[in-house]
Amino acid sequence: MKFAIALFSPPHAPSSRRALRFAQAALAGGHEIVRLFFYQDGVHSASSNVVCAQDEVDLPREWREFVQAQQLDGVVCIAAALRRGVLNDDEAQRYSRTAANLDATWELSGLGQLHEAAQLADRLVCFGGP
Amino acid sequence: MSKSLLVISRQAPWSGPGAREALDIALAGGAFDLPIGLLFLDDGVFQLSSAQQPATLQQKDLSANLQALPMFGVEALYVSQRSLAERGLQDQPSSLAVERLDDSSISALIDRYDQVITL
Amino acid sequence: MATLHVLSHSPFTDSRLSSCLRILGSQDALLLCGDAVYALQDGSAQRQALELMPESIALYALDEDVQARGLVFPARLTLVDYPGFVALSCQYDKVNTWL
Repeated sequence: MKFAIALFSPPHAPSSRRALRFAQAALAGGHEIVRLFFYQDGVHSASSNVVCAQDEVDLPREWREFVQAQQLDGVVCIAAALRRGVLNDDEAQRYSRTAANLDATWELSGLGQLHEAAQLADRLVCFGGP
Repeated sequence: MSKSLLVISRQAPWSGPGAREALDIALAGGAFDLPIGLLFLDDGVFQLSSAQQPATLQQKDLSANLQALPMFGVEALYVSQRSLAERGLQDQPSSLAVERLDDSSISALIDRYDQVITL
Repeated sequence: MATLHVLSHSPFTDSRLSSCLRILGSQDALLLCGDAVYALQDGSAQRQALELMPESIALYALDEDVQARGLVFPARLTLVDYPGFVALSCQYDKVNTWL
C-alpha cells in the first residue's frame, strides 16, 4: 500500500510520536510512504531549533533521521510554517528575518503537495490533536 | 479518476487559525480541480453565521473565503442539522448555501468519499 | 466503503467521541489512542456507550496507550500495536482521524 501521512500537531503532542511510529511500522511492513506532509502546528517538527532534554524523546531529530535514512519526501506547508516562524534561507531573506530554522531535510511548499500526495496514495492517514 | 476528499470542519471561526486552515485545504483542492466536499460539524457550524464581525478581533473575514468556495469549484457543501440544532441555529440564516444533513446522511456522505480529513 | 475512525482526545473533556458515535456506519470501526482510551474507563458513561455499539462495529485501541494508563478494557476490545494500526488502515477503505 502507498501511504500519504499528514501531521498537524507540534512535536510535544503525543500524536506526533504516534505519527512517526506509524510511519516506521508502515515501512517495516513493506508499505510505501509517498510523502510526509506537515501542516498547522506539525510544522514545528521540521524546526532545527527544538532542544529536548537528554532523557526525553527528541521527535524533530527522530523525524529528520527517519526521513534521511529512508529518503522520504518530506514537505512542510509554507503558509503554515511562515505563520509559525519556521523559515528556510530563502524565506528568511525574503522577509528580512535574522535566522532560518527549517531543517534541510524538509522542503517548503504549498497545500497542493498534500492533495498530490493524497492522489498518489492508497491511504491518507492524518495525525494531530493530543 | 481523481480521488475525492471530504473535509470536515469542526472548529469555531475565531479560536485560532484552525478554521481558516481547514478551509484552505478545501480551496487548494478546488484550485486543482479535485472533487472536494466540505462538511461543517460541531462548532464548525458557527463559521456559517452571517452576523459575525471579526474586525472587532482584528481578524480577517472568513466569510470571504467561504464565498470563494463555489468559485474554486467546491460546490459540495454540507452542514450537520444536529450541530445546528444543538446550538440553536436551526432557524438562523447561513452566509453560504449549504445542504443540511442528518446523522445517517452524514454517515452516507463519509462513505461516498475516498478520503476524509476532520479538523 | 468502511471507515476506520481514529480518536485521541479524552471523551470527558471533548465532544469528538459522541459526535463520532452518532455518524458511525454499521461497518465502520473505532480506534482509540492517546487520551481517547479513557473512554474504556470502567463505570463511565463513555464505556457504556462503547459497549452498546452494534456488534458489527469493531473496537480497537492502541496497546501502548491502554497499558500506559493501566486501564481494564472490555471483552469486545482488540488491542493493536503499530503494525496492527498499519494493518487496520489497509483493511478499512479510509482512515478518518478526528484531529
